[in-house]
Amino acid sequence: MDDDSLLFLLALGPASAAGLYWMLYRYYRNTDKSHAFERETAITAQPVSGKDAKAGEVRGTQATAISGNNVGDYRRRVKRL
Amino acid sequence: MSTQRPSGPGSPQDVPPVPGASSGEFSIDPATLPGPIRDELQAPDPAAIDTESKELRDGLNHCPKCGATEIRHRAGSDKLICLFCRYEWTAARVEEEFGLGKGIDQLKGTQIASGAQGINADTASLRSFKCTGCGAEVVVNTENAMTARCHWCRHVLGVNEQIDNGAVPDAVLPFHIKKDEAVARIRQFVGKRQMFALKAFKEEFTPENVLGVYLPYMVVDANASADVAGFGEVETRRYTRGEGKDQKTYYDADVYQVQRHVDFTVDDLTIESSARRGNLDTRANTNNVINGILPFDTKNAVKWNASYLAGYSSEKRDRDVEHLQPRLEDQLLSIARAQVHSSVRRYDRGVRWEQEHLDVHGTRWVAMYLPVWLYSYHQPGSDGGMLHYIAVNGRTGKTMGSVPVQQWKLITAALTVGTIVEGLALWFIGR
Repeated sequence: MDDDSLLFLLALGPASAAGLYWMLYRYYRNTDKSHAFERETAITAQPVSGKDAKAGEVRGTQATAISGNNVGDYRRRVKRL
Repeated sequence: MSTQRPSGPGSPQDVPPVPGASSGEFSIDPATLPGPIRDELQAPDPAAIDTESKELRDGLNHCPKCGATEIRHRAGSDKLICLFCRYEWTAARVEEEFGLGKGIDQLKGTQIASGAQGINADTASLRSFKCTGCGAEVVVNTENAMTARCHWCRHVLGVNEQIDNGAVPDAVLPFHIKKDEAVARIRQFVGKRQMFALKAFKEEFTPENVLGVYLPYMVVDANASADVAGFGEVETRRYTRGEGKDQKTYYDADVYQVQRHVDFTVDDLTIESSARRGNLDTRANTNNVINGILPFDTKNAVKWNASYLAGYSSEKRDRDVEHLQPRLEDQLLSIARAQVHSSVRRYDRGVRWEQEHLDVHGTRWVAMYLPVWLYSYHQPGSDGGMLHYIAVNGRTGKTMGSVPVQQWKLITAALTVGTIVEGLALWFIGR
């Protein structure tokens, strides 16, 4: 068994303890709940327009997604122009 | 020394023209002026929507049939009922009465309904009425109630005049969910959260103490455009290098500069108009669960009539349109980001938005009281402890709440499961 697998197996105990704590805590306290106004409000949008221009290439990265991926994180604000 | 007062034509000493009079307001006929100037002079006032019920100004809501003031909201419906002659009627829906659902895509500027106008901090919460039944003075504390009974002649008086302390909104959405149903829903909600609930909470749990509260909200229609810009990546190749335990996956990707523009309208976005309820910091309060029972069917809201609040508690609005503007813009930007999401699906490695821009062309603000059944429990602790709410939407029955946890129980359970998993892992390693 290699070192990575060993570490992974050893980390399973603390990880499952922390995971269970968080899951139950949120089930009781619902600290993550709020009004999903993005989809629960009546919104009428015109067709989306825009531009896409190739800006470069990434070769041989081990990252599975673009760094700072926030495509689904609608409520995190970025620089306002 | 005498004080110099501005006098003469054009000063405050001038007698103001009669509202609506054809001449007097402008000394030159605007029709003779250039187009842009004429448009500006003749543009309507921003507060174009007057929702005040002038017929109810004296504080007495009379039954239209027999004139009695024993008016109550008929539970489970939008109707008012006269307890004297049993006549039932419904107040007009504001949606149709003031044309609120229409023309959102044509909205320009900020339109504020009369019940959502700025709050004057000097206006007292206590309102005293002269009872038109017997002439006695009756006091209503608008911080938490909108009706009171004259203790001399038993007439019921309600606050209907749109005073500038934020207590009287434009519209009210009557309770549909009855107390029994709210109690059952809260019982069910807590019933599913028993094992790790705080012992004192379980012992003191009495859902019958639930309180029907009308909470203040601003219901906003908006016409806006948004632009977002950033970078997206499309995977072009995936491959592995190395052998055995050193094997690793690598990716090649094309990077694109992405820009999106969307024009959209939002109908009835609902925002808390009380500073206390609008604070959703979950470290300090549990207001987020009240936010979580939104949305309401605000299209069915009826014109303000204090009789709907008889028997219920209420909270007063203390936030103006200008205070809520940043929150509205934040929510509009979030909506814009959600709207453009489907147009960037081809970027399978995701998009990093870096810049965003919002143009709000027009908004329309209506103040509303929305019905919430609220059960609360105060958990003692440092910094005043924590007030836990369980809230039931008074229209849809949607229930959300915060149940305090018994920390030692929860930690013990987590550690037990962690230990078992760790034991299994060690057994697996040692095989």
